[in-house]
Amino acid sequence: MRPSHHDPLSRWLDAERDGRTEDAEAALLELFAAVPRLAPPAGFANRVLLRAGLAAPVAPAPGWNLFASRWVRALLVLCPLAIGVSMFWLPQLLQVLGGLWGLGDLVQIGTDLVVEGARWLGSLLGFWELFLTIARALATPLATTPGLGVVVVCLLVSLVAFRFLRDLITRDRSWTHVESI
Amino acid sequence: MAMTDAELVAHARAGSQEAFRELVVRFERPVYSLVVRMVQDAGTAEDLAQEVFIKAFRRLDTYDPERKLSSWLFKIAHNTTIDFLRRHAPETVPLEAEKEDDRGSLSAVLSDESSENPAAAAERRDMGRALERAISRLRTEYREAVVLFYLEGASYQDICEATGLPLGTVKTNLHRARKELAQEMAALGWGPRE
Repeated sequence: MRPSHHDPLSRWLDAERDGRTEDAEAALLELFAAVPRLAPPAGFANRVLLRAGLAAPVAPAPGWNLFASRWVRALLVLCPLAIGVSMFWLPQLLQVLGGLWGLGDLVQIGTDLVVEGARWLGSLLGFWELFLTIARALATPLATTPGLGVVVVCLLVSLVAFRFLRDLITRDRSWTHVESI
Repeated sequence: MAMTDAELVAHARAGSQEAFRELVVRFERPVYSLVVRMVQDAGTAEDLAQEVFIKAFRRLDTYDPERKLSSWLFKIAHNTTIDFLRRHAPETVPLEAEKEDDRGSLSAVLSDESSENPAAAAERRDMGRALERAISRLRTEYREAVVLFYLEGASYQDICEATGLPLGTVKTNLHRARKELAQEMAALGWGPRE
């Protein structure tokens, strides 16, 4: 036997050995009373709400105000200042940008883009035609009475099998009967 | 002042997400504690515990306020877990074989070293692991009864409602479970003093 300093454990095991049922139960209750229950990982409630399709509400902290921060207020003051200063540089910037591309260059770029787009569209139409061919080939047997019959029979068999499996899983799932929830 | 369970259910039925969240927070520990000891796998247990609350949310209208909410949730947990065990029991991994730093587990709690000397703390940790192992070796219905009665403080009647078993069977299961626990503890070297 291993030495034990834990009274409830010793009392429980001693009582079990001696057949003292009430003492054994009390000691075991005492042993477990100090044991907190296992807890799920943090954020469990949020995950349940999300999985249940309920949006987890994100409430702002009470009294929270964006403009309470002095950094935000300073930024707001600096923004018009920065815009005002940039006005001095704007004409020169536009002149530089205007010198990079002429009108002819812009027309050429636009034409190239239209041609490339038309080429891609043509490729896509080719794929669409192939898709339609496959779909027609698949649909042809279904248009006949025997083909349609086979499909209907398959669907019915699937439905019956699904129902049977569902009953099999949910039926008698307890050791005794319990209401289904 | 905190709302009662019945009040929370009424608010949740009326569409209050906050009320439902409070219900989950209030009962996540007992439900998870039961499920994790039944399936012996932490990841699966969280998934099943989530399923329990989702089922509860969708069936709130069937809850009878005259009954204890915990019993109703335990019943859903019982059914959900039994369904799972019927399909996946062989694939589960014993809880005791999981990672060593199982914070919050019986072993970890029993191994609280804050008020003990190292030798006593080590012994306490060993005992916690032994008890955990002994519980995990019980038959499923015995294990469920032990967890509900001794860990979750459920009454005999609560266990009857949760499991659908008659009172006599519940008492018998608990009695036999206790005996088997003691035998397992003895087999693990924690027998009674000579």
